[in-house]
Amino acid sequence: MSRQNKSIEEKTAELRKLVSWFDGDQFAIEEALEKFKQAEKLAEEIEQDLVTMKNEIEVVKRKFDSE
Amino acid sequence: MEKSKNPTVVYSVSDFIAVLNQTLEFAYPVVEVEGEVASFKVNQGKYVFFDIKDSEGSVNCFMTVWQLRMPVEDGMKVIVTAIPKLTRWGKFSLTVRVVRPSGEGAIKKSFELLKAKMAAEGLFEPERKRILPPLPKHIGVISSTDAAGYADFIKILDDRWSGVRVEVANVQVQGAGSADQIIRAVNYFNQQEVLPEVLVLIRGGGSADDLSTFNDELLIKAIAGSRIPIIVGVGHETDETLADLVADVRAATPSNAAQILVPDKKEFISSSYSTVRSLVPRMLQTIEQQKQGVRHLLVGAIGLTGQAIDQEIIKIQSTNMVLSQLDPGKVLTRGYAIIRGKLKKGEIIEIETFKDILKVEVKNVTTK
Repeated sequence: MSRQNKSIEEKTAELRKLVSWFDGDQFAIEEALEKFKQAEKLAEEIEQDLVTMKNEIEVVKRKFDSE
Repeated sequence: MEKSKNPTVVYSVSDFIAVLNQTLEFAYPVVEVEGEVASFKVNQGKYVFFDIKDSEGSVNCFMTVWQLRMPVEDGMKVIVTAIPKLTRWGKFSLTVRVVRPSGEGAIKKSFELLKAKMAAEGLFEPERKRILPPLPKHIGVISSTDAAGYADFIKILDDRWSGVRVEVANVQVQGAGSADQIIRAVNYFNQQEVLPEVLVLIRGGGSADDLSTFNDELLIKAIAGSRIPIIVGVGHETDETLADLVADVRAATPSNAAQILVPDKKEFISSSYSTVRSLVPRMLQTIEQQKQGVRHLLVGAIGLTGQAIDQEIIKIQSTNMVLSQLDPGKVLTRGYAIIRGKLKKGEIIEIETFKDILKVEVKNVTTK
């Protein structure tokens, strides 16, 4: 799945994973800048998604006044 | 023989009962009667009998236990929705479809009785409560789309979050049949191929009678049996319904339900950036730690190198000292002499002292 198709929840999870990498044993300063750039981009994408996306409201056709 | 102009119809008993029931059905297809319950009893766990009375009269009532949606006891004031009927034994009775409490006292009494019953069945236990998804993408809303509470919910939802698919089951949220409509909506969402992640049951404020829909026994059980977690936001903050108690999460109002359901996007965006910014000091701290580490290693390396050099210098100096002690010239200064030539009688040998070099003849050689 490309990043463009990821949901806000998935992007948020990815951001959390990146942040936890900085606190973990795998942390290496050589990779940190690249990971930081990825985190920055994810935060921008989350903002963009939340600003541009709308909620999709759909009233179901079924009537509930009888079985 | 002259025929009678107005012949009296002679009915059989069963025909008379049937005709009377037809007349009743035409004149009073459904009636609502208010009164006090007396002689309430359940036979064989299936059939419910009671009288409904006031100071002037009393009527027999019959219904099945499955139709009874609230606890009833003698003395309780109720409104029955029923079909009047003459039984084949000639006894007049109301075949009851719905019983609902009447008046504040009865509503409260009914509420307390059902609450105790549902609590005894464990439906309000905290262990039953499920956690709502933190960022739902698909929700099912059960409400009247005309209700103010619904409009409030959608407004707050739109203000706070984006990208949610909201399926709305438009149902009646008060009055006769409303509980059944809500139950059907709960079942509808639970039977979908793709289940919503959460169901939201909402309506705005109303009288105790309006909100009594949410104290219906079958509705309470439908909420408890839902595969999908349910958040209920009914009435105002001070209103308490049994639907609130059985829900996975209780919201004080429909607006509060939206606040609980999704985070505020402005705060969320700000928090995302803040999280990213918090990485900068972490990186700088690591770089500084590594710099200090390298510096420390360098200082150590320089120190070790200096020590090694000093040790080499000492060694060289020591060797130098030994060598200088062994220098023949130095030995001569201490009074010794160097002899060159064969130590044999009659040979001319050379003797070197600190100051002179002598040529001398060997007169005698004696071995020690």
